[in-house]
Amino acid sequence: MNKYSICMVNVAFINPFSDEARQIVREYGNLNTIYQENGDLIQLVTRSPSQDISDEESIPHNIMDLALKRMEWYVKKRNNLEFDYRKYSYLYNRNITNFDVIAFYLLVQAVSVKFGPNSRESRVMVEAQGKLMESRMGELLLSEKRDILGTILNTLLPREVKWTMFADLLSSRKIKLTDLVLDQGNIILDKDYFMENLGFKLEHRDPGKMYDLLIGDKIKELIINRMIMQKTEDYISEVYQKSQRQVEPNPILLELADKVTEILNQPMATYGYRGGATGKVEASPLNQEAFPPCVKIVLEGMKSGGRNDAIILFLTPFISYARLYPDVFRRNTTLRVSDVDPELAAVEKEILPLIHEAAERCTPPLFEDQPQEKVNINAKMGFGMHSEIELKHEGETTWYTPMSCEKVKLHLPSLCKPDKTCKSIGNPLSYYIHRLTDLRYEEATSEEPGEESKQESREE
Amino acid sequence: MVSDQLLKPATPEERRRYYREEWDVKDIPEFISNSVQKREFGFDHMGRGPNDRYKVFRSMDLLRKFLRYRAPFAAYSSVAFYEKPQRRDGWIKSELVFDVDAKDIPIRECGCQGVCEVCLNQALEIISSLIDTLKGDLGLKDIHVVYSGRGYHLRLFDESVMTMDSDVRGQIVQYLSGAELPRNEYAAEGVTYKLEHFTIPFGYPQVFTDRTRYAILHLTPETQLDEVNQKLLKDVMKNRELLEDNQWGIFRSKIGPQRYLKLIRSIASLNMALVDAKVSIDLKRILRLPSSLHSMVSMKCTEVKNIETFDPFKEAVPKFVYERKS
Ligand SMILES: [Zn+2]
Repeated sequence: MNKYSICMVNVAFINPFSDEARQIVREYGNLNTIYQENGDLIQLVTRSPSQDISDEESIPHNIMDLALKRMEWYVKKRNNLEFDYRKYSYLYNRNITNFDVIAFYLLVQAVSVKFGPNSRESRVMVEAQGKLMESRMGELLLSEKRDILGTILNTLLPREVKWTMFADLLSSRKIKLTDLVLDQGNIILDKDYFMENLGFKLEHRDPGKMYDLLIGDKIKELIINRMIMQKTEDYISEVYQKSQRQVEPNPILLELADKVTEILNQPMATYGYRGGATGKVEASPLNQEAFPPCVKIVLEGMKSGGRNDAIILFLTPFISYARLYPDVFRRNTTLRVSDVDPELAAVEKEILPLIHEAAERCTPPLFEDQPQEKVNINAKMGFGMHSEIELKHEGETTWYTPMSCEKVKLHLPSLCKPDKTCKSIGNPLSYYIHRLTDLRYEEATSEEPGEESKQESREE
Repeated sequence: MVSDQLLKPATPEERRRYYREEWDVKDIPEFISNSVQKREFGFDHMGRGPNDRYKVFRSMDLLRKFLRYRAPFAAYSSVAFYEKPQRRDGWIKSELVFDVDAKDIPIRECGCQGVCEVCLNQALEIISSLIDTLKGDLGLKDIHVVYSGRGYHLRLFDESVMTMDSDVRGQIVQYLSGAELPRNEYAAEGVTYKLEHFTIPFGYPQVFTDRTRYAILHLTPETQLDEVNQKLLKDVMKNRELLEDNQWGIFRSKIGPQRYLKLIRSIASLNMALVDAKVSIDLKRILRLPSSLHSMVSMKCTEVKNIETFDPFKEAVPKFVYERKS
């Protein structure tokens, strides 16, 4: 057994804002060493349990590399079906804590100085931190996890954690309001608070035991995770503000920031617009021929009831996902529109025009009657309740996934005119993928039979 | 005395008299006047619904003139604040609203056809319990109560909730009204324990216990509940005084655990109707303007300053009603 793996987990491994983490930063010497080949780091990485060391590219040689690997891990994990966990095992290795904390602070500084708080880079950085923390927690022993949760609760969180800070978790139903123990607007997570304020109300029951039962680990973990993400976000703003007053940012940070952008752009090349060879369905220009009957009906314009719902709740999610993220139901990751369409070019030139045309074709035309509904279309694509689509508002609402056939039958029964493809699918989007594959096959076989057979052999 | 003259529609002449002689622009609460330019207004001139919409007023004085000269059948303003209220565009935020309509209370003792003193009073009791939960559990402030003419509106201006979306508002409604059956199994260290809602004297289980007790204590032999047959209803009513001293455990065992579950399940779904969820989740709703006349029932939509002492039949009756000839 590896001797390293049994050492205690440092809370800084999970919480980069802990005193322990700040200590590590204070003790770290010269910033220039982040570029130097770091033997200790390499050793830790290569000795991490189940780490794949066959590929030299996947081993970080210095702290700068490590910072970038943190981002790469997240972006690849999110975008790739064939994500290889073993190339990043060291990120789950608690012994890298000292280097990891430095890498974290480097990243925060880099993205805030170069891009500021409302950028894609900053957002992905925050998400990556949340995801990394979640994955690391998942690797801990239950007793360690409890310890860490307790320590973080005692230090990181103010004793007052307002439920209103977690509107997005509620909105996405990751937590339910009725599952929280609430008192005076606070989510009760802290044991002392529970004992002082609520425990005495219990009759014939042990308050300590009730605390364990009612305030589950899962809620704590979700809330702490979100708090740390929030702290990261706040810290990015803080660093950005300070950097505005300085004359010259450190060139090392600017270089790191540019490399972060490169990493974020990578999936565009492999996932976003080009066809791959792995059988997954890529984002590509819409093929209206492959639309299911219900979508075709709405595109012709709604002449009777259900007009607003058909355009906003049904058509908008369908068109946007069909164009940008047709694979959503097969892959267990949430994306934002800008992850696939960073300049919002497809949104402006392809998606919105199609939806707006359908809205105009209704009787009465939707926007003549209710111009404010444009805002709702933007909201359903995740851009908040605003009349213009702007990146800075992305995330204020969630990008609604397309309605299932069952929901369509329930809410918009007049749309459901099933054909034979409909029999085998449960969601209009699956219909689209299905037909798209068929159509491509037909196209390929009719035009270039030689090309097709080659492609087939490549896929095997 | 007045009651036989009440709840009759106001004539156009009475409306004009109300807005010229009795109504004062200062009767409009500050929570409207301080945001008049950000809100959309809507009017019903003929008594056929608020179809004069997208109205905006640059000042309270313009609103005053409009109401004085047009004396509408009904007046409304949006719960939403907009950058461009004339197009309902540039949404900024919306009040969080709970609407308790006396005639829609799920279990009514009065059995009246429309709205009467008894069910209006019941509506106010419900409002008061909602406020307790909003403050005590959810820690929200800046709550106003308005008598609407047929019930009450709770209007919240707490900044922390005004930007929340419909999904979250829907969850708040569920929490407040006790519309969801609390779970009764809790696990720790791999062991599952049964805990009934009434053994947890705080948080959502307590809210559910309170709403359920209220419902059970108001049941009448005529109440229709899904899953609850006449025999069960009779047994519940026979034993319900146990709940007045919180003897839930004994009550449950008298009813029997299976039947108890049926009972609370149907009460939970009934509780959903305590507040009109459609109103709460609609970010762009228009609500009756406080101080305006509810012409259908000839009552004033009135802000409730003191919920303990408010009596709509004293404070919300316009003068012209007293002058009607019987
Ligand atoms: Zn009544």
